[in-house]
Amino acid sequence: MTAIAMKPKRRTKNRPVWDEEPSLAGKAVKALFLICYAAAIVLPIWAVVATSFASEEALNRAGGSLLILPTDVSPQAYREIFSGGALTDSLILTLTLTVVGTAISLALTICGAYALSRTGSLLHRPILWIILLTFLFGPGMFPSFLVVQKLGLFNSYWSLILPGAVGTFNIIILRAFFMNSIPGELIDAAKIDGAGEFRTLFRIVLPMSKAILAVIALFYAVGYWNMYFQAVLYTPGLETQPIQVVLQRMLMSTQGLPEGAQAAAQYQATGEAAPTAALKMAVVVCTIIPIVIMYPFIQRHFTKAVITGAVKG
Amino acid sequence: MATLQSTAPPEADEVPRPPVVRRKRTVAQRFRHDWPLLLLAFPVVAHLAVFHYWPSAWNIIAFMDYSPYRPFWENPFVGFAWFERLFNDPYFTPALLNTLKFAALNLLCMFPLSVLLALAMNSIISIKVRSTFQSIVYLPHFFSWVLVVTVFVQVLGADGLVSNWIMDGGGERLNFTSNPDSFLFLVWLQWAWKDAGWGMIIFLAALASINPSLYEAAASDGAGRWRRLWHITLPGIRPVIILLLILQIGGILSVGFEQYQLQRQAVGYQATEVLDTYVYYQSIVGNQGESFGTAAGLFKGVIGLILILVANNIAHRLGEQGIYQKS
Repeated sequence: MTAIAMKPKRRTKNRPVWDEEPSLAGKAVKALFLICYAAAIVLPIWAVVATSFASEEALNRAGGSLLILPTDVSPQAYREIFSGGALTDSLILTLTLTVVGTAISLALTICGAYALSRTGSLLHRPILWIILLTFLFGPGMFPSFLVVQKLGLFNSYWSLILPGAVGTFNIIILRAFFMNSIPGELIDAAKIDGAGEFRTLFRIVLPMSKAILAVIALFYAVGYWNMYFQAVLYTPGLETQPIQVVLQRMLMSTQGLPEGAQAAAQYQATGEAAPTAALKMAVVVCTIIPIVIMYPFIQRHFTKAVITGAVKG
Repeated sequence: MATLQSTAPPEADEVPRPPVVRRKRTVAQRFRHDWPLLLLAFPVVAHLAVFHYWPSAWNIIAFMDYSPYRPFWENPFVGFAWFERLFNDPYFTPALLNTLKFAALNLLCMFPLSVLLALAMNSIISIKVRSTFQSIVYLPHFFSWVLVVTVFVQVLGADGLVSNWIMDGGGERLNFTSNPDSFLFLVWLQWAWKDAGWGMIIFLAALASINPSLYEAAASDGAGRWRRLWHITLPGIRPVIILLLILQIGGILSVGFEQYQLQRQAVGYQATEVLDTYVYYQSIVGNQGESFGTAAGLFKGVIGLILILVANNIAHRLGEQGIYQKS
């Protein structure tokens, strides 16, 4: 090889020395792939937000679907949502369910995970098996429905929280974290200093597990916030429905479908106008906002939680 | 990957106590020592007993001619009559086939996409670009199916954004979101949009745990980019791929409910019916009766159980760890 061929190419900073610089075409293909993928996610979300702020005239001019570039900004749709009508009730209900449900779920998960992390205790293995067996077999939709009915929870908001309150997968994730990431010496030391199990849990274990608890809380909260199926199954008769059910009805009413015609008739009967695209998109934005607010704080811990879960699941 | 291999399954990670100590303590003594733990575990066990094991036991009505209007013990046993009726039901087989179709789609087209994304992501060197990209692609995982379907209808529906563009250009109205023939592709697109990015997370972690000195050694031995990919990267993430495959195969009959139920009106039941929606529409909305719906659900549960045990067994034979170890 000649000296000219040996001339070092321009290298990307931080690239390991053994790694050859990829060809321009290779880089371009990769960049295109990733950019297209990210754009396919971001653009629709952007259009939804833009449309939610559009006035009716602007929407009609655009054909009534989505706007990429908002021509005007009108908070009309949001005023309608928060004006104290059915939508406000639904949002308040969903928020309440989310807060109460997450609190219950998290409390149960912490207790279960801590009890199971203390290996060798009385009945430890049978209890562990009770939890692990739930991964292998699900009771099925109809028997669960039957039990909810028998407990008198049908058409009660508790049926949206209680049946799914314990995520056994989350218990196993948290247990694995307690066992692997909290030094046993620390717990032994607490014991020697006279701390009981409760004090050890609250004073030592929980303060060291804030990050993973945040992730698990997010998983639970998102589950409650996005609840649709349970509401369809367990509480079809209640007047105020979780926001996802309301959104689904709005979607159907504008799609011109049989079920939608019913919903549209309902809107007429109550004297409300059928939802405009702006209103629909504003509801979508309202269902996204809590997630987007929580997300940046918790996102960096995702990988750890998922990995711990995969190892132990 | 080190973290995955070094961690033993739950049964094996108990710290062995000296047997002498254990034998000395009676149950009463252990209870006096461990009661706070039992108290902590009690709510979870009680919850599972009520909302998991009790309904599981109710599956027995799949073998009975059950009616809620008479005392439980007066319901006669009918053997497998409900299952016979299930297999002869003209709507059951299409639902089962659809379920398998979607499961196969998930297995064949979602995995590779997630792996591909992870590989592309992993080769981004700038940390800033990486974390921005990660934040974007994980986000849709947290959206509800109602939201995903709504956004898809707004963008790709008959009155949607793309349809309007096409019509402005003189083309025909798009009927992508209500066309049963292309529903499979629509489902895949929705999956790809919602979950492909999230699916990448575990592969990324596996990739990050591959020892970089392996790459360095291979490179200095003259292995190029593709050889390193084939001989180091892919074997490095193999345990994870197998683990996920087992989980997927175990859940092959559980392809979800909401995505299909939400699009049933628009696309029609023929294309969207899967086992879960079948159970829902036959026994909860329809009037096929309690025993029938339970039998359909039990069929799904038992097949799922068998599949997960078989898949795990195969994984052991291949020398992988699987979900649980042989005890």
